[in-house]
Amino acid sequence: MSNYLDLSILELNTLLKEGKVTPLMLVEEAFRRIEKDPEINAFITLNKEEAIKEAKALEGMEVDNVLFGIPVAVKDNILTKDLRTTCASHILDNFIPIYDATVVSKLKEKHLIIIGKTNMDEFAMGSTSRTSYFGAPKNPWNKTKITGGSSGGSAASVASRMVPLALGTDTGGSIRQPASYCGLVGMKPTYGRVSRYGLVAFGSSLDAIGPMSRNVYENALLLNVIEGQDDHDLTSSYHEIEDYTRFIGQDIKGMKVALPNYFMSDVVSPSIKEKIEETVSLLQKLGVTVERVDIDYIENAVTLYQIIAMGEASSNLARFDGVRYGHSVDDAKEVEELYLRTREEGFGDEVKRRIMVGSYLLSGENAKVYYDKAMQIRDDMKKSFEKCFEKYDFIIGPTTCTTAYDLAQDTDDPMRSFLDDVLVIPVNMAGLPGLNLPIGFSREHMPIGLHIIGKAFDEARMYQFASFLEKELNLKLDPKGEE
Amino acid sequence: MDYKTTVGIEIHCELKTNTKMFSHGTNGYGNTANSNITAIDLGYPGTLPILNRGAILLALRAALVLNCEINQQMYFDRKNYFYPDLPKGYQITQARTPIGIHGYVEIEVDGKPKKIGIHDIHIEEDTAKSAHSATSSLLDFNRAGVPLIEIVTEPDMNSPYEAMAYVEKLRELLLYADISDCKMEEGSMRCDVNVSVSKTEKLGTRTEIKNIGSISAIGLAIEKEVEHQIVVYEQGGTIQEETRRFDEKAQKTILMRVKETGNDYRYFPEPDIPMLVLTNEEIESVKKEIPVLPNERRKKYHEKGVSEINSNKLIQNRDLSDFLLTAPEELNLVLASNILLGDTLAYLNKNRKKITNTKLSMKKLTDVVKRLEEGSLTSKILKEIFNDLLETDLSIDEVIKNHGITQVNDTDSLNQVVKKVLLENQASVDDYHAGKERALKYLMGQIMKETKGGANPVLVNKLLIEELTK
Repeated sequence: MSNYLDLSILELNTLLKEGKVTPLMLVEEAFRRIEKDPEINAFITLNKEEAIKEAKALEGMEVDNVLFGIPVAVKDNILTKDLRTTCASHILDNFIPIYDATVVSKLKEKHLIIIGKTNMDEFAMGSTSRTSYFGAPKNPWNKTKITGGSSGGSAASVASRMVPLALGTDTGGSIRQPASYCGLVGMKPTYGRVSRYGLVAFGSSLDAIGPMSRNVYENALLLNVIEGQDDHDLTSSYHEIEDYTRFIGQDIKGMKVALPNYFMSDVVSPSIKEKIEETVSLLQKLGVTVERVDIDYIENAVTLYQIIAMGEASSNLARFDGVRYGHSVDDAKEVEELYLRTREEGFGDEVKRRIMVGSYLLSGENAKVYYDKAMQIRDDMKKSFEKCFEKYDFIIGPTTCTTAYDLAQDTDDPMRSFLDDVLVIPVNMAGLPGLNLPIGFSREHMPIGLHIIGKAFDEARMYQFASFLEKELNLKLDPKGEE
Repeated sequence: MDYKTTVGIEIHCELKTNTKMFSHGTNGYGNTANSNITAIDLGYPGTLPILNRGAILLALRAALVLNCEINQQMYFDRKNYFYPDLPKGYQITQARTPIGIHGYVEIEVDGKPKKIGIHDIHIEEDTAKSAHSATSSLLDFNRAGVPLIEIVTEPDMNSPYEAMAYVEKLRELLLYADISDCKMEEGSMRCDVNVSVSKTEKLGTRTEIKNIGSISAIGLAIEKEVEHQIVVYEQGGTIQEETRRFDEKAQKTILMRVKETGNDYRYFPEPDIPMLVLTNEEIESVKKEIPVLPNERRKKYHEKGVSEINSNKLIQNRDLSDFLLTAPEELNLVLASNILLGDTLAYLNKNRKKITNTKLSMKKLTDVVKRLEEGSLTSKILKEIFNDLLETDLSIDEVIKNHGITQVNDTDSLNQVVKKVLLENQASVDDYHAGKERALKYLMGQIMKETKGGANPVLVNKLLIEELTK
């Protein structure tokens, strides 16, 4: 029984080039690992037949790039042509897209092989992946724990080494928070860096697609593939295309880092704060200046998120009406009944809750009282981040307040999911890039993550910083304990 | 005191573009249902709007034609509501930053000019078209996403005639500026009218009459709605805000639905489209592209002595009016417009042709007019040779020759004709000596008539002057 998927991508690339490994062997190994551990529930839909066909088609072709033939998992709110895309919702459980999202086209161009569509919170609404219509995925470090969310399936698929890479999406922490809970590197790129075309919209002004991986270098490799301006997305940036690995390996001595006091408040568990303090000491030892700062308005981020994300979501989800695609009741007598029953049956509780709150927030005068005001404060918060970046290269803090908690815990508390994301949401509000780097474990041996926030479009430097730290920490990050 | 009528009008016009507002889908009327659709037009999950820059520039042109101030920094907004013809569950429109504001259209009623204020003009996307039967509803998404402008007036009209004049004028402007084809019968121009009556300065409660099918129906609908409202008030009743439609057969407006207090469309800024900037250069270049508009053309016709009837006819026949734009300054527009609106128009209508598809060049027309002025060509002969002028590349002289009207170049025989004509027209001879230039033309015409148009006009002119000055 081969274990190629425990090797690094660079090692695999060499083996592929030498013909010692074929894409088919990697794909078959990925499915073997998935099928061996169905409890993890990382995938909603597997792409087995097509993936094998694709792997066979790659045989004999020149290995023309470092990700050639590498298995990848794609979160199930990103459209894949002819491959079911459900958003983990009953309302789309029969939905077969007619086109590929831009990021998916890019994966295919580079001959990565899509293994399947990963589990998630329904329409990415949640922080535990428990709102999935297909049941929650489980944390590979401890199957009684949540993976976090909403990109919980992507996190679980990489953490359990079923695939080396996965795409997640992040509207309010949904890449970084599960990456933290599952001991992965997760990057939410600058808003506009990666095209949103083909991503089922949740909070359009916040949504970002990003890579999830076992280490920093491989994360940068995947961002290299998916980034870039796209004519299909007017909000995608014309910012220069770059090689995100280019600074990796360079020293970080002399860099200046800010640690906001807000990120070290009492909502953060002592063991995590302790780990952050250790990391700060390590950074100082490495010649990095770390200073405590205050960033105005970040304490408002969750409130802003609730207003903006839910307002936008209530509008974005209006199209699921049973008229053109997706779930539809077939015995409705009139159109209003069709709408009501389709949406009643199709959406889960959390999605309904957010649509209702969002609709209320945009209703009549409320739009001025809440939405417009939120947009203003959002702008102010963005400016205070910019001010901080005038003095510092990065802002750091813990990614989460706690480590992954029990699957059974707090299932009835709708506010809990926002508290899980209190430290990561400000980054979405400001459109900045944010990265989770594993920095250690709790006493229960659950992963703890460092949140690194960069200036807009400064991902390459973030990778340099994270990678340097990663090397110093040299953690064993395979839950199977074999690495 | 009498009731004062107040009317405001909202008009939706489809822009004449090749593709849709927010997708590459084809903008075409009358195509097979659901053939002009893309994933974007269907509101497919994951799709995002793209921007049709051409549509933006056409809307900008409209805003300029309607004398609007331009919002150079524009946003789009979402208007949220559920309806099967609305694929995304929201319409992308401009609620906060319409492309044009504070404009006006000048109309004339009973010879008096009046400015009708334009509150705003904004860009939005059309919905799909639904067709209902007793048991089902059908949807055609060809229309979904077609670029629209909505033009909203101030409540500045006070009679059905003013309303009709406004719509007429607006239609003429949009047609002439090549913004929309404004076909009310095909729905590329759709008109909603707000009507209220009041005995005081304070405006009465208005009702909205939706989707009126023609300009004459607009006048009639307003008239009937005003009558209806007055009857209600006179009987001690009150008018409530409601939406009505005009039934042309029954000649009355009919209640569709009472408006709920404050329609809640949950407007918010469209996050998928960043702020759009219109630069001064863009605005200037769009200004330059605007074709000469009817008012300017009318002014010119008026200056050149063209009758109001002919002037209006020219405006109605855009082709002919455009043809005249290439006329040399010295061309006699009175004669030219007579030729164009008479024999030419008859020919064009009969043969279903456009002037640009005939052989009538501006040079030929100028020649014809000059000869008519000199008297060297009579209208009778022109009639005879007219088809050939339109259908062949031959010169006027060649055409005349082909018609067996041989040119007489014989000085002796021409001299006899000249003498004969002078003898028979002593009065004109006297007039000529009294300094009346016109008399020469008349005499010239008589000679041409006598020779059945065959005389060499240059020679005749010479002989005639010689004879007269003897």
